[in-house]
Amino acid sequence: MLKPLLNVIDDIGECLIFLRLILRTAYRSPCTWESICEQTWKVSVQSTPTTALAGFFVGAIMTVQFTMQTKAFGALGYLGGLSTSATVREVGPLLIAFLLSGKVGAYTSAELGTMRVTEQIDAIRCLGANPIQEIILPRFLGIVISSFFLLAAGLIMSIFGGMLMGSVFSGINPEEYVRHIPTIVTQFSIGNGLFKCLVFALILASVCTYKGYSATGGAKGVGRAVVGTAVMTMVGIVVFDWFTSLLSETALNLFREGV
Amino acid sequence: MKDIFVQLEFVTWQSLPVILFCVCFAAVVTIIESSFHMKLVVQNDALVPGFAALLILRELGAVVSALLLTSRVGAGLAAEVGSMKITEQIEALKMLGIDPVRFLVVPRFVACVIGGFLLSLIANLVCLYCAMLVSEAKLSYSSGAFITSMRAFVTFQDLVFACLKGACFGAVIPLVSCYFGFRCKSGAEGVGLATTNSVVVSSVLIIVLDFVLTFLFSHFY
Repeated sequence: MLKPLLNVIDDIGECLIFLRLILRTAYRSPCTWESICEQTWKVSVQSTPTTALAGFFVGAIMTVQFTMQTKAFGALGYLGGLSTSATVREVGPLLIAFLLSGKVGAYTSAELGTMRVTEQIDAIRCLGANPIQEIILPRFLGIVISSFFLLAAGLIMSIFGGMLMGSVFSGINPEEYVRHIPTIVTQFSIGNGLFKCLVFALILASVCTYKGYSATGGAKGVGRAVVGTAVMTMVGIVVFDWFTSLLSETALNLFREGV
Repeated sequence: MKDIFVQLEFVTWQSLPVILFCVCFAAVVTIIESSFHMKLVVQNDALVPGFAALLILRELGAVVSALLLTSRVGAGLAAEVGSMKITEQIEALKMLGIDPVRFLVVPRFVACVIGGFLLSLIANLVCLYCAMLVSEAKLSYSSGAFITSMRAFVTFQDLVFACLKGACFGAVIPLVSCYFGFRCKSGAEGVGLATTNSVVVSSVLIIVLDFVLTFLFSHFY
């Protein structure tokens, strides 16, 4: 009973130590801009269709769900604001980040894990280069940057999805749908959603580089690293989803008392 | 028959801790967020339990547990079947006159459908229970008041639909993973590619299917 728990805590600790190593390398011996841009481009191109599709459907689902509930109150006018607010603040970042962790996280940890078990990383070290600086750092920064923008793009797509379903399923024309968004969605909500996206991007990048870099033992080890990445990222995302919500609520309360 | 139970143990029992852990956190977030929205729209917390329960039962419970199941079980299945393919174990099965689909896919399929149903049921109930505890602590609801206010919104058929959704998502996972596993190209990279593809495709399919099912069920309410 205690051993799996200890393993989990070990994993978290090692991941944090690895994150510190990455950040220290970024501070002391930064990598070139070109390599970061190259990684950002690669990740973005790979994952844009997936994220856009996921965002579109998440928005559509939330609109269908909220239609049934707002209809019961006769408050169909609020539909645009409510479903957009729920998607941007909570459901959108969560579900799209889940998809990204399957796509980007699994790909990166498989790539790094294969490099590790075929001893390419050791070869780089033999050549006198720092593998963290040459391989890990560009990927880490590239994933953070592109995941953040991909998540934000997914959120924008979710508004379109919600708008389409609003006019098809609940008979609200797009103008009406959009008109009610600013009444409920404040700048604070959007900031909250974007903050969540940034935190999820950081978790995704650090977990997948850590798991890939520390893979051991042949092809099976790579498989283990991939599955481990997916599970650990998802759990991390859910936990930090709670944490950011709590944080933003506290911030909002402070703000309200201040005014 | 024995195979089915072995797979069911792998799918359900071993995924249970991770799923329950995540679902508990999801419940806390749902309560916080719906209390935020309620304050915005109707200025008080009166409808929070109802809306949170609706969101959990109709949407979050089933989808979150299915996506977690994909990354755990789907990736494992694709890697397993893919390695069997590239080490020619599947050809060996064919040589022995055993149908590989019957031998490999059917037990996993049945186990995942049953497992998806059960996991969705357990995850939803635990999630609701957590939501109740949180609203007791944070919004000072008594548990009785929470349940009464919840019952005004959700009915038993919501739980049934959530479990049906779970079973459908459970069916998607082994189908996609085994498809990619059987088509796996040779070499370690082929297995990695099959695993990644199966996770991505089944997550996207789960979200799309969720939309279709939500649309379908919305006619029954």
